Amino acid sequence: METGIQRLFLSALVLPLALLTSAEHVSAQTESGDQNPGLDRVISPDTKRREIRQAEVDTEDFEIGIFYGVMNVEDFGTNGVGGLRLAYHITEDFFMEANYGITTTRETSFEKLSGSTVILTDDQRDLSYYNLSLGYNLFPGEIFISDKYAFNSNFYIIAGAGNTNFADEEHFTYNLGIGFRLYATDWIAIHLDVRDHVFEHDLLGEDQVINNLEAHAGITFFF
Amino acid sequence: MNLTHDAEHFNKGQAPGMKTRVFLNRITATIAIGTALLLMCQTASAEDEISDHERATVDTSYIDMRTGPGRGYPIFYAIEQDEIVELIKRRTDWVKVRTRRGKTGWAHVSQMEETFGADGKQLSFNHANKDEYLARRWEIGFNGGDLEGANALGATLGYRFTQNLTAELKLSQATGQFSDSKIGSIAVMHQPFPEWRVSPFFIMGTGIIDTSPDTTLVQTEDRSDTSLLVGAGAYIYMNRRFVLRLEYNNYQVLTSRDENEEVNEWKLGFNVFF
Repeated sequence: METGIQRLFLSALVLPLALLTSAEHVSAQTESGDQNPGLDRVISPDTKRREIRQAEVDTEDFEIGIFYGVMNVEDFGTNGVGGLRLAYHITEDFFMEANYGITTTRETSFEKLSGSTVILTDDQRDLSYYNLSLGYNLFPGEIFISDKYAFNSNFYIIAGAGNTNFADEEHFTYNLGIGFRLYATDWIAIHLDVRDHVFEHDLLGEDQVINNLEAHAGITFFF
Repeated sequence: MNLTHDAEHFNKGQAPGMKTRVFLNRITATIAIGTALLLMCQTASAEDEISDHERATVDTSYIDMRTGPGRGYPIFYAIEQDEIVELIKRRTDWVKVRTRRGKTGWAHVSQMEETFGADGKQLSFNHANKDEYLARRWEIGFNGGDLEGANALGATLGYRFTQNLTAELKLSQATGQFSDSKIGSIAVMHQPFPEWRVSPFFIMGTGIIDTSPDTTLVQTEDRSDTSLLVGAGAYIYMNRRFVLRLEYNNYQVLTSRDENEEVNEWKLGFNVFF
């Protein structure tokens, strides 16, 4: 764009000059020495060349916040989950996001029924995850409350990969989700998210791919 | 209003109607509290807007003002030539502006470049294109791939201090069938031809590699070793702020045993710059 503008200015500068010289050439041939002020006024645009500098404006493309909700860990119950979210808005469509969340899982039904069997220690029941994802704002829009207020909103899809630390093991984890972001102001947003965290573990004997669904609400701040 | 009216009409003379009404009241109360919170946020933001923002004078026939920072938001106002606007903030390629009459909305940077500041100088807004890519300072990236058969995932932070040289912090985690590893490195990256669309690079660095074998299989201790890294790859400029990055890294792990270990890593990811 900058070069575009520069080009525009250059052509604005060069074109009249070229026209002027050729016009002068022609007028010199026909009227020998006539300055032709009328033509001059028509073809030289009244533009001043401006210097260019950076605008001083605060950019708010980063988003930081917290969330809380429920997460289901297959075989290990559904429990509260809380975490942190950091995002960078690359364009109006795309954003990249890093999440960190923790939850504590419960005993499996098998452990409860058998009475004495214990698969994991208390520490091992803690599950933490992080992921790096790319999101796409699918349906930007506005939400109206009465006839006075309108709030901007986005419905987004997001996918990425990360790691889950569960039962003293690291598990490579894919995540996939949809979310809704409502801008309470330009810099405060309220989120509603549903995510699926997919990983493989062998805690119950054999390798098993599990889907762990999470639904949470969050608040974020742009800076 | 409509909702309550309909509900009353519907429940006239019915005993279970009470329950519905209580339920409706509860919903209305919840919505009211939510709205109150939202409105409080709005007032709070209205108060903090007394400040010394840059002022820009429109130097083109008009600038479209939209209700939100996106191309789909409706245009509700046209800022006229010679009108002065305050630049409140910027998000991605949109600038939030306020006119003297108090109209507030979002204008695209490409239109905002046809304005000049109080000093008479034309204003420019960095926006994501190839020129901006070539002049970038900071970049962050996410990547994924393979580290000796294990799934590897990583993030990078780079600072480009000359046209060809970038200092980089790399964090990577690999989860495999037999062992997991975490690698943290600092490296220097050299791009001999930064202006090429597909631009090769070479990288050298050092770091620490933490390896923990899978406990359900083998009982060995976790170890932490110094590693040296050499690698090569390519930057492929896509568009806007996106750069695709393909890379191969070779780590020499300086173990306490007699032999050093060699680890190969292949990765594909994207970087964004700002």
